[in-house]
Amino acid sequence: MPTLSPSVRKSVSLIYHFAERESKARYKRSILGWFWSFMNPLTTVLVYGFVFGVVYGAKAPATGNGNAENFGLYLFTGLIVWSVVTNVINGSMGWLVGVSDLRKKIYFPTETALLGGAVANAIQTLLEAVVLIGIMIVLTNISWTFVFLFAALIQAMLFGLGVGFIVSVFNARYRDVQYLIGILLNVSFFLVPIVYTQKLLDDNNVDGLIRVLLDWNPPALFVEIARDAMYFLEVPQWNRLLAATAWAGVTFSIGWVYFRDQSMAISEEP
Amino acid sequence: MTIGAISVHDVSKKFRLERNRPSSLKEAILRIGKRRDTDDFWVLRDIDLEIEPGAFFGLIGHNGSGKSTLLRLMAGIHRPTTGEISSEGRLSALLELGSGFHPDLTGRENVYLNGAMLGLGRKQMAASMDTIIEFSGIGEFIDEPVKIYSSGMYVRLGFAVAVNVDPEILLVDEVIAVGDEEFQRRCMSHMNMLRAAGTTIVLVSHNTTLMADLCDTLGWLDHGRLVEIGDPDDVVASYLAMVDAPGDNTLTTHD
Repeated sequence: MPTLSPSVRKSVSLIYHFAERESKARYKRSILGWFWSFMNPLTTVLVYGFVFGVVYGAKAPATGNGNAENFGLYLFTGLIVWSVVTNVINGSMGWLVGVSDLRKKIYFPTETALLGGAVANAIQTLLEAVVLIGIMIVLTNISWTFVFLFAALIQAMLFGLGVGFIVSVFNARYRDVQYLIGILLNVSFFLVPIVYTQKLLDDNNVDGLIRVLLDWNPPALFVEIARDAMYFLEVPQWNRLLAATAWAGVTFSIGWVYFRDQSMAISEEP
Repeated sequence: MTIGAISVHDVSKKFRLERNRPSSLKEAILRIGKRRDTDDFWVLRDIDLEIEPGAFFGLIGHNGSGKSTLLRLMAGIHRPTTGEISSEGRLSALLELGSGFHPDLTGRENVYLNGAMLGLGRKQMAASMDTIIEFSGIGEFIDEPVKIYSSGMYVRLGFAVAVNVDPEILLVDEVIAVGDEEFQRRCMSHMNMLRAAGTTIVLVSHNTTLMADLCDTLGWLDHGRLVEIGDPDDVVASYLAMVDAPGDNTLTTHD
């Protein structure tokens, strides 16, 4: 890396270190290791697919090639994006707490801990995306629109980091924040069309302000884009793409500026 | 600025002591609008100091006089409340027991982590790994998590890393006093080697004989103020005269 300035090089090697540590620590002392990272989304898909698809008889819309109506896959395309948002937000608070003792004794750019955690999360998400794409290839339900899945994942990552930057600073002060955020994220799961469909909202005449909130909140936009790309095989609507990009960019920027401003104070927290 | 120089300009550092600090969000919300029971504690006041590249600078003073805080400011851990502090060059610091070590990582992983914090890649650290293990005398414990280390082992590994990463500035607090006689001697001779190689060294110690021996210049901090700076023997003499004089040396927040 000859062209990088020393401070950038330092940050890069720290991000690499924290990413490696996060990946290793996650499945330390486990025999099956990375296998567990697939078990979590898989069981969620199976359980939710059973409860909503079989018990309640929810119908997933037809896939882009018209030959599958699979509620499990409908869930999976949504969950893969949603879990990036929640894992990065929840993770950020832990990643910052994890290095705060260290930061009191030695100087290093604190944001590298969060960025490193995000890199570890991105690698795991990439594996899940490969599984999803593989399944879709087997079902011959695939098109070039799959590139928008990665656009949605990157947006979800930036948005999650932006929120994570802010809440992790709050959490460094009051540990209550992590529990509060955990609950809020559980609630907002139902603001995102993961276990329900747009059609269900249409059928029940959900409109007005609530509908705007349900349709245009950032995680819902990311999920819709991913689903257009992987399930319906359509190019996402341009205004949704634009709104999602704006949400991701603005949230990340605000979080970044706030974190850079506050991170020196972390070393003085008792 | 030239590499190895440290410039401290008009620096003051205030810490806020907060009694009955709200420990949860609920308490914090319930306290909104109420007067906070805080006390400002000036640890350092109006410090002006220029350390030349290649200098061996020592800091002496009572417990609580602000020596360690000044080192932490130089290391960039805290930001000064007022004034400016700047340094140029790769800065390596050994500030307290196990500083910069993550308890759950092994000694070896911590060496890599410390290297990353100093901007040294894995390759560079791998190249000096044998030297570091050899210097620390830690042996096979290098692959054990550092939380099981004794305090002596902590400081051995910490010092080994701090001096073997080719620092341009080295900050060392008391800690070496934890090591045994033989290790302390090794530290001293190694610091002399670094000095000969042109490294700027700032050392804090209570051992006045040692300080007078090692340092080119000595600064005496008293209650957060730099009261004297100059030739080591003179500064030690006036410091000891003050110590011998009867007086109140209680730590207070009202200085």
